[in-house]
Amino acid sequence: MRQLEALRSAGRGIDAPRRIEALAAAFELWRAPGSAWPERLAARGGLFSPAVIERGIRLGLERWTAAALAELRARELEHAGQVPGVTAVWLAGPVPGAAFAAIALPLLAGSSVYVKASRSDPGAAALFAESLAEADPGLADCVALGDDPGALVHADAVVASGSDASVRAVREQVPPATAFVAYAHKLSLAAIGPGADPGAAARRVALDVALWDGRGCLSPAWVLVRDSGGAEAAAFAERLASRLEELADALPRGTLDAAEHLRLREWRAVAAARGDAVLHPGDRSPEWGVSLTPAGELPPAGALRFARVVPFEGREDLVALCRKLSPHLSSIGYAGWPDSLDEPRAALEAGGGSRLCPAGRMQAPPLAWRHDGMQPIRPLLRWVDVEEE
Amino acid sequence: MKRAEIEARVLAQIRRGVDVSPDEESFDGLARALFDHQYRHGEAYRRLCRAEGLSPDNLRHWTEIPAVPTEAFKQARLASFPAERTRRVFRTSGTTGGRRGELHLDTLAVYEASLLETFRAYICPGREKPRFLVLAPSAAQAPDSSLSYMYDFAARRLGADEPRFYVDAQGWQPERLLGDLEALSGPAAVVGTAFAFVHLAERLAAEGRRLELPEGSRAMETGGFKGRSRELEREALHGLISESLGVPPERIVNQYGMCELGSQFYEPSLRCGIVTRVKRIPPWVRTRVIDPVTRNDAPEGDVGVLVHYDLANTGSVLAVETADAGRRIGDGFEVLGRWTGAEPRGCSIAADALLDPT
Repeated sequence: MRQLEALRSAGRGIDAPRRIEALAAAFELWRAPGSAWPERLAARGGLFSPAVIERGIRLGLERWTAAALAELRARELEHAGQVPGVTAVWLAGPVPGAAFAAIALPLLAGSSVYVKASRSDPGAAALFAESLAEADPGLADCVALGDDPGALVHADAVVASGSDASVRAVREQVPPATAFVAYAHKLSLAAIGPGADPGAAARRVALDVALWDGRGCLSPAWVLVRDSGGAEAAAFAERLASRLEELADALPRGTLDAAEHLRLREWRAVAAARGDAVLHPGDRSPEWGVSLTPAGELPPAGALRFARVVPFEGREDLVALCRKLSPHLSSIGYAGWPDSLDEPRAALEAGGGSRLCPAGRMQAPPLAWRHDGMQPIRPLLRWVDVEEE
Repeated sequence: MKRAEIEARVLAQIRRGVDVSPDEESFDGLARALFDHQYRHGEAYRRLCRAEGLSPDNLRHWTEIPAVPTEAFKQARLASFPAERTRRVFRTSGTTGGRRGELHLDTLAVYEASLLETFRAYICPGREKPRFLVLAPSAAQAPDSSLSYMYDFAARRLGADEPRFYVDAQGWQPERLLGDLEALSGPAAVVGTAFAFVHLAERLAAEGRRLELPEGSRAMETGGFKGRSRELEREALHGLISESLGVPPERIVNQYGMCELGSQFYEPSLRCGIVTRVKRIPPWVRTRVIDPVTRNDAPEGDVGVLVHYDLANTGSVLAVETADAGRRIGDGFEVLGRWTGAEPRGCSIAADALLDPT
């Protein structure tokens, strides 16, 4: 592919400090107060409201600074291996920050990037490339967008996100010797421990639920609440409902398609029929919902701002619930374990997850996060071992 | 109105046949009386109605009766009688390995009357008595299958002789079926699942054979193609059946039904002598095509979700919201596929399909 050769050439001669500076500048363009970039993304008619895009990007990119980029590069490229000339990145999912990171990480390593945009967010990848051009046109020349499956054959490394089926389909097209990194779909949850301040925890969890409308892998599909029999989970569900109602104005939900409207109605109706407590604003297409299921049961995952509160009694219970999700758990957003994180950590490990973070920061993974337990850059590299006589 | 009285009226309506429709007022009265009964005696349904803010006290018309999504039949007991009075439980096929939906029945009288009336009207419209060859297990073999129950019950009452079933404890029996098909000397009704017909046609094609069933024979298939366009597949399937069995396309009928409903919907091809994909609605049922966003009736021809109000569902809930997309065509409707088959927009939603938590 001629386009890939051009990308390889474009990348030569752009050193690490320049890459770091350019990427940091591009991130700054997006998160700066009053930035036009989130607005431009919203104008492309994606799934989210402008307020969610603006807040989600500002929070998500908050710590993606030049220092963080430099530290990550130093860590990942210590004893530097061979960097791929071109990395093909096959994106999935609607969350723009995930697209930004997937493009930025190979660039940071020294690779050029051929990007296939996500079908549910075709605008983010293109606009990020444009912002990069504003920051450093030379580095922007190292990014090309397209959907030519030939890139999977001719790239030096491939990163694919998506459902198990889509990742499998991509993998089949990649030559066996090519470095291949897969991120299949995962689910996350919030866990509220015995030491939580319920009001503060509910506010933070509500933000995790509302950002990206519960569509992302990092959105809490369940909110597990320690309940020692004193109706703590029910009280938490009420607080969460109040916070979601507040956010319905500040961060309005984006558009739903017909199937999603049906799904939300089904979730409310089924939860009510089961005898779960269901809270929602009461109109025909409520902006949010909260259900409370009996202890020990894990209902279908919540999404689209329909939060599933599930009580748990103690450590064993929490670990058992998370084990049911293995190996599909991604992250746990916690609150209420001020002295030791052993309990949520054990739960995370039982579910096969890779990130424990404070509630309220679930949608803000650091660039250095070992996503799905893998180093962010090193799986793309190749090392040479030389054995002496 | 007590349930016995409601059932007597529903049975009377069913016995008038598929061509005599009740007026709007009498359907509304009967539906609201049944809703009142189901609300008062069905705990799970009452909870659902309360969550929607509706009860017999504030309901103004049958179209306001809260419809239960089919998913709820997997997670709650939607019956309006005590569990100890259960006589039969039909279960959905559960092909995805998750929980199965359940229809609990304390009496089969209305259920049987409904299925027999429509089966006769659309499969044996001239009161003829064909020999039934059933590409499904018998009711004894699959006691929780509503489909087997329907075939078994209808074929024994409408057929020329004892129906023959070609799925037994040993599985699918194509040899025996092919032998019986070749030995037919009079009109037959070959009925079964769409998948069974595909297997039969593939078997015949592999052997390079094509049958010519006796004149007056007919075929009826049911069951969907999960997550795919039903009608497109159906055209191909009926072509396959016609080609392999030698049954004219206008004598091949699709039936649309579901475990959660007491009544079924048929294409009237055998009655009209023409090929049609429009399903007829029995007079004791109303089907609405609802806009999923506004929850109002979709204009004729527009795609919406199918919601059925079935008076034959006396012991469970009469209003059932399907996951099927369809559109109204005249007095009937067309089934277009499943709404839930659409690709979810977001990884958390897609990933939910990976799990079978509870």
